[in-house]
Amino acid sequence: MLIAPALLFSGAFFFLPMALSLLWSFTDYNGLQPFTWAGLANYTDLLSDPVFLRACWNTVVFGVVTMTIGPLLGLLSALMLNQRIPARAFFRAVYFVPVTTSLVVVSTMWKMLLNDQGLLNKLIVAVGLQPHDWLSDPGTALYAVSAASIWQGFGFETVVFLAALQSLPSELYDASAVDGAGPIHQFWHITLPGLRPTMVFVYVVGIIGAFQAFDQVFVMTQGGPINSTTTVVYYLVQRFQALDLGHASATAYLLVLTLGLLSFIQLRLGKRFA
Amino acid sequence: MPSRRASTRRAVVRLAAPAALCVALSACSLIGTGSVEPPKAGTGKASGSVTVWDYYGSATPIKPAIAAFEKAHPEIKVNYQAYDYDTMQDKLSVSISSGSAPDLATADMTWVPTYAANGALADLSKISGGKVNGQPIEEQYTPGGLAAMSYQDHYVTALYDFDAYALYYRKDILDKKHLQVPKTWDELRSVSAAMAEDTNGDGKPDKYALQVLPDTFHYAQLLFQNGGAILSPDQSKAAFGSTAGVSALEYMKSLLTSGGGLYWGVEQGDSTGLPGIKDERIGMFLNGPYMMGVLKDGAKEQSGRWAVAPAPYSQQPGSYLGGTGLVIPTSAPNPSAAWVLAQFLLQPKQQELVYTKAGAAPATTAALASPVLSAPDPYFGGVSEFPVFRTAMSTASPFPYVASWPDIDTALTDAVTAVLINKATPGQALDKAASRVDSALAR
Repeated sequence: MLIAPALLFSGAFFFLPMALSLLWSFTDYNGLQPFTWAGLANYTDLLSDPVFLRACWNTVVFGVVTMTIGPLLGLLSALMLNQRIPARAFFRAVYFVPVTTSLVVVSTMWKMLLNDQGLLNKLIVAVGLQPHDWLSDPGTALYAVSAASIWQGFGFETVVFLAALQSLPSELYDASAVDGAGPIHQFWHITLPGLRPTMVFVYVVGIIGAFQAFDQVFVMTQGGPINSTTTVVYYLVQRFQALDLGHASATAYLLVLTLGLLSFIQLRLGKRFA
Repeated sequence: MPSRRASTRRAVVRLAAPAALCVALSACSLIGTGSVEPPKAGTGKASGSVTVWDYYGSATPIKPAIAAFEKAHPEIKVNYQAYDYDTMQDKLSVSISSGSAPDLATADMTWVPTYAANGALADLSKISGGKVNGQPIEEQYTPGGLAAMSYQDHYVTALYDFDAYALYYRKDILDKKHLQVPKTWDELRSVSAAMAEDTNGDGKPDKYALQVLPDTFHYAQLLFQNGGAILSPDQSKAAFGSTAGVSALEYMKSLLTSGGGLYWGVEQGDSTGLPGIKDERIGMFLNGPYMMGVLKDGAKEQSGRWAVAPAPYSQQPGSYLGGTGLVIPTSAPNPSAAWVLAQFLLQPKQQELVYTKAGAAPATTAALASPVLSAPDPYFGGVSEFPVFRTAMSTASPFPYVASWPDIDTALTDAVTAVLINKATPGQALDKAASRVDSALAR
């Protein structure tokens, strides 16, 4: 009885909609007219749709870029902030400010920075180089969007790594120092192994977040130019806006399956190496 | 550090988000498997309450008319709800599918094909009895306007404001350079090249250039002017890959390569081009009458410098015809009263508000003849530029009314973008787009 309200709420607003979405993924439902059964047609359509396949590729590239550079920057800044440096509290706050800022605001700011008349191009011209249309060039647009996401997100990774660093027992460092280990040895043999569970957490959460990228794409490029920044979730929203709920639902479930599989692998690997 | 259990739980919650996103977007339609009720056509005197959704924003011409309407029709109470343009389409779709649709709503004419093809819009021919404010509908609109309002031989929307493109240009710069207003494609290319300046020597114009937008609207104008069409007459196949379509896109590209055009992609952040107008990167652009209001509000310091002329063309004048329609969803609770309000909004006095409040162009012929619209406009050097748009409307064509219009729009925009940024030739890009469009139409 005590959990009944929570169960009712979850059922009505979470599990039932998910079940309906699963049902719709096998239909041609458009939200306006009665649906007809489509079997696996929505899924096979998606797997032969070049825009969807491009969106998948973009999402993978976005995930790889952001989850390579972001955690690395987070770890480096956490290591720096874990030292007794002047104004440490100030830097901790500064690194975390972008995380607390709306992604829409951050994306708008980066869009202005990367505009053909933006600050970045002005700096490039000032040092005698040719300006570049970062967001108009399909070859650079996705990386530009990734840069904004990394900048916004690595403060979170910094805080998580910093907390983990501070929980590592100082006795290990003291003992290794007595045995003659230098900072590099200590990093490889104490710090890094100690951070493995944190890394699993950062990567699981980060990859799921990367695969759900939408806001920055919507604000900075709207999926263009020529779908070069269209992500899976952006594609999903486009399908919804076109009242194509069958394909939108199928996209959602393909994403759920992919993320489920990735997370399972990550967690298993994390367990194995912990 | 969070425990692994906690991180896993959080991961599971986040994992479910895509599915939740999809359903959240349509969560309100849990029950709605989409059966669309037939319209309850008005019989007898309309009364009760009318819910109206309006996307015009702070410059709305609808809200100021509500008080006058309620005074004239005390038996009808209006529940006015303002929405923002960017989210209105999603909200309208969800409300229609969940059976909680408003009685009357403003709808961009580019949304109408999808709604109409899915039976979501009430048959205004039936509700209206073929008349608006006591006059036959056919006498209230231009032929182009009537075509835009029609789907399968009946009216599904009442055009409230219209959008058809003309050429805006910096008259002061044209005069200073002793250039004539272009009337043909060739003239537009040569005049824009002569007008534009490359002040920083990077090979691209950065002063007084012609704005070139990579979108379906601007390409469609060139396509129509060149005698082409977007779809085949039976609307089953793409038709823009024709010779007319390819040469229209080649011409669009040549506006950039000639040195007079300035590519204005999504990353510029404002499709009106206002930032470029204000800093004078843009000296010419093709756009609709609403831009008169945008200029007056956003570039006050350029008062007296702008003028409007008919859009230059190759074979025949042409433009896409869009704007805002008043729609009554099929599931609207009170369609009869909604139509009473719609008619009130279409009366000349209220239609003038479209121009005076929103800076847009009213759509009815009676309003188009209003002296208010023909009054000298100080912003445009004491000249009334509105008649140019009235003429443009007479030769403009609406986009095809097919359910897969959003897919067609996206495919065409991608093709135009690919050509303008040198990633494909016009033939290649349009062939690829045609293939996507044919697949979408087949679905």
